[in-house]
Amino acid sequence: MLLFGLDLDYVAVVMLFCVGLYMLVAKSNLLKKLLGLNVMETAVFAFIVTAGMVEGGDPPIMVAGTSAPFASPIPHAMVLTGIVVAVSVTAVALALIVQIHAHFGTIEIDELKELP
Amino acid sequence: MRPWPLLLVLLVALPLVAGVATLPPHDAPDAPIHTQVGARYLERGVAETGMKNLVTAVLLNYRGFDTFIEVVVIFTALAAVLALPKGSAPVPKGSAPVPKGSAPVPKGSAPVPKGGPQAPEPAAGSAARAARAREEERPEVASDVPVSPVVRFVVRLLAPFIAMFAVAMLFRGHITPGGGFQAAAVFAAVFIALGLALGQARAARLVPVDWRPWLQGVAPLAFALVAWIGWRLTGAFLGYPSDDHTAQEAMGFVLEVAIAVGGGVILARVFLEMET
Repeated sequence: MLLFGLDLDYVAVVMLFCVGLYMLVAKSNLLKKLLGLNVMETAVFAFIVTAGMVEGGDPPIMVAGTSAPFASPIPHAMVLTGIVVAVSVTAVALALIVQIHAHFGTIEIDELKELP
Repeated sequence: MRPWPLLLVLLVALPLVAGVATLPPHDAPDAPIHTQVGARYLERGVAETGMKNLVTAVLLNYRGFDTFIEVVVIFTALAAVLALPKGSAPVPKGSAPVPKGSAPVPKGSAPVPKGGPQAPEPAAGSAARAARAREEERPEVASDVPVSPVVRFVVRLLAPFIAMFAVAMLFRGHITPGGGFQAAAVFAAVFIALGLALGQARAARLVPVDWRPWLQGVAPLAFALVAWIGWRLTGAFLGYPSDDHTAQEAMGFVLEVAIAVGGGVILARVFLEMET
């Protein structure tokens, strides 16, 4: 679907990315920053998967009942890789945030900055 | 509200919109993504890999090295989480020596101010005081509030079905959307739901302590094993015998199961480690 010559799906992905970026830079809570990062990652994954779709496409699984055209299998496989990396980053970041909270009693950046 | 985050977001958004404006419409069949190597995979993937689900074929066969390193990445993430010091006990107020294995506080700095009504230290700034006040308002939300019986009942009711869905995703993944990673995510979701509703100690019993090291590392180990078998069979590391579809399917099956079990256990273990 086009709007002013722009593909609406891609514009939605860019908007989602920007929402995540705003969360990342504007919030001082570390957990919200991490959520923002995850929203950005989701936007990138949605972008890649969207790019791999084709009009009326079936999933790229060659069994009875599916027929050409097929969605491209590469974006799906690559996004799977990306999701695993995103999960790994989230896990390590969450563990660090838990540690920060345990030691300093806060996860607000501006409060952490004022600590001695 | 500071204006610079919005400005930065606009600064990033404009080039992105300009960029996507130059892309071909996302569902056009003649876009490069459908005419380049993707078309070749669609055309010859089944014959070359013996896998009907071409996403799995790309994941395990064409880009097998990628996936191998990927399971190593998530294993490394768990290792990093486990390597963090278990600083469960907050630094007690007024105790100068920092407990062993806690956060690296530079030598000579004041003791970390931490919740507690006793003798406010002059070094503690207003921010630390605010943090302290907030701590006192909401002490230890985590485990003191009993879980609603409704939530507990619903989670216990649904958990076996969700787990069954994960198993179906794993074993039907060769002919339906799904596969090892998806099953791992659903397994971990069941585990985390059970952990939240019934308590972590109860959920932790689902993953026996003795097996944990092996279960956590099963995906990289299985990849190494299959890569070695492929090397013996074809002379190429992680090679698949292209004319033997049974062997190809068996190798893919081992990898998928290992990914599902290993990934699920790793995610569950990360969740268990989050408890301070």
